[in-house]
Amino acid sequence: MTDHEALRRAEAVRMARQAMSRRGFLSRSAALFGGAVVAPAVLAACGSSSGSKGESGSGGDKSVAISNWTGYMSDQSKKDFTKDTGIKLTYTEDVNDNNEYFAKIRPNLSRGKSIGRDGFVLTDWMANRMINDVKWVSKFDAAAFPNKKNLRAALQHPGFDPDRLYSAPWASGVAGIAYNRASVGKEMKTMDDFFAASGTKTVLSEMRDTIGLMMLADGKDITKPTYADADPSFTRLEKALSDGTLSGTNGNEYVNDLAAGNLAAAFAWSGDVAQIAKDNPDIKFLVPESGATLWSDNFMIPFTSDKADLASEFVNFFYDPKNAAVLTAEIQYISPVDGVADELTKMGGDAAKLVDNPLVVPTDEFLARLSIFGVLDAKAEERFDKRFAEVTGAG
Amino acid sequence: MLERDDQGRKVAQRAPWLLLGPGLLFLAVFFFFPLYTLGQMALSSRPSRFANPVFSWEWSNFNNAFSQYGSQFVRSFLYAALTTLLALVIAYPLAYVIAFRGGRFKNLLLGLVIVPFFTNFLIRTLAWKTILGDQGTVVGVLRDIGILGANDTLLRTPFAVIGGLTYNFLPFMVLPLYVALEKIDPRLIDAARDLYSNTWRAFRTIVFPMSLPGVFAGSLLVFIPAAGDFVNAYYLGNAQTSMIGNVVQNQFLVQSNYPVAAALSFVFMAIVMVVVITYARILGTEDLA
Repeated sequence: MTDHEALRRAEAVRMARQAMSRRGFLSRSAALFGGAVVAPAVLAACGSSSGSKGESGSGGDKSVAISNWTGYMSDQSKKDFTKDTGIKLTYTEDVNDNNEYFAKIRPNLSRGKSIGRDGFVLTDWMANRMINDVKWVSKFDAAAFPNKKNLRAALQHPGFDPDRLYSAPWASGVAGIAYNRASVGKEMKTMDDFFAASGTKTVLSEMRDTIGLMMLADGKDITKPTYADADPSFTRLEKALSDGTLSGTNGNEYVNDLAAGNLAAAFAWSGDVAQIAKDNPDIKFLVPESGATLWSDNFMIPFTSDKADLASEFVNFFYDPKNAAVLTAEIQYISPVDGVADELTKMGGDAAKLVDNPLVVPTDEFLARLSIFGVLDAKAEERFDKRFAEVTGAG
Repeated sequence: MLERDDQGRKVAQRAPWLLLGPGLLFLAVFFFFPLYTLGQMALSSRPSRFANPVFSWEWSNFNNAFSQYGSQFVRSFLYAALTTLLALVIAYPLAYVIAFRGGRFKNLLLGLVIVPFFTNFLIRTLAWKTILGDQGTVVGVLRDIGILGANDTLLRTPFAVIGGLTYNFLPFMVLPLYVALEKIDPRLIDAARDLYSNTWRAFRTIVFPMSLPGVFAGSLLVFIPAAGDFVNAYYLGNAQTSMIGNVVQNQFLVQSNYPVAAALSFVFMAIVMVVVITYARILGTEDLA
């Protein structure tokens, strides 16, 4: 009995020692875990500088470094560009989300340091922020961008850049409703059909698309959005998310759920749905009777780049209708360039068929049903973002 | 002679500091400095939305962090606690079998625990989306045997979030438990048997108490990252399952509100610290050992 007791005690002491040393180590590591959210100053130091500083302007090896969204480029176009212009292209698909990309480039740009890029592509509202709020972009080199004249008239004078001095649309698309006819069991026509449909439904985590679509359903004008107009939509969304009518929000990953049949219906982007529908004809894209949102992603040049001329030459290349048609045939989004439809027809085959698809070559009648979410000033935007975060559970 | 002795003593006095040096330097650069900048950020205010925050003793950031995100804090620690408990229940028998019954397959079995985690963290989490999906086999079978109703789902429920957390952090529980159990001298169990102890009693009085350091280490390694995780709640949860990590992510990346994100991180750290110290006190007493 005493031996047992002694053994226990000895073991306890040994264990306590072990535990102590391990605990000491662990509490320090625990503290480190907590400190993992590092201040932006440190983050900035981690940024890559794969850009080509020093080989500036013309002369010597000409090269540009461009950031873009995935699915926005064709290999053929890349080759053609370097062949035609003699400019080496470093093309990175590292824009996955406007806010995320903004957070990534902010530490450097706010201090006037290079981000290793000579151009990036961001959505209208973020372009507004870049041009008018933070002013981190530089003007195009007009001499290197003569094809700007091919920009479609409807896109020439947006509120955030009336003369298109800083931004050139790269591609446009539509946010509407995607649904699985097999799950929903009928054709859908309106926003109310969407909310009434049974099964799993999600909305987009992109605030302007989700709230924009719902505001349109309320008959509000989203080209001049006000918080008062948006408030009923936020309330409706909040209710739908908390009573289970909607299952949650999705980023671009909704594509997988839709293809796998996990979603009955969802707010979605036109190009994605067109691609899924190729394999599954039950997946439909709907522009509700109340209308849908039209967005554009814009090419811009960070003010820290010393190659505005070469970057302008880059976008100039894609504003040639011929080159724009090659790109459009690959990415199947709406091209901002005039004359693309004719070039697509000339290309023949599958490319020529795209001319009849209003989601790639929109007719005026189709365009009339779409609206662009207007500019929010920094204060209003903050209020919209905060409320959206609350509603979606992230704030 | 005397001088040399003195010198020797001086070296001996300095030696621990020299040995500690690299560790202290590491802590200074990767812990104290970030902590300082984080603290500075947490007490800053923003002149406008996109201007760089300015240090201004802005204690209201902490008030906001506490008052507005209470439910997310509670949820984070509740989910993390459940995750830790589940991981312990799953990992203990596993580690026990590998340690005591693994024989020459010990290394192979340990490898089998770890190898799946060579796959990217995100991919593993997204795989659960497919497995728990409404059209997946799991939901189908559970519906067929009546555990789930016809319209019940698993994806985007707290169940999926806690399940995902448990799965993703399981190895952090298995490995320390294995190390602790493996160290136990099997002769102690034999001795217990010789003293007419049955298997259960031998486990309760010998094996389990001696494995407590492993339980302690494993729990912390699971609890802390699980409480701060945002990936599982983001991909497997819904608007009602968001955790503090999701709030920080949104404040930092979407709302560009670095000060509140920093204050949230500080509050999170403080709570973790209290939890860990309390846990250490409870598990550190000799009674339990």
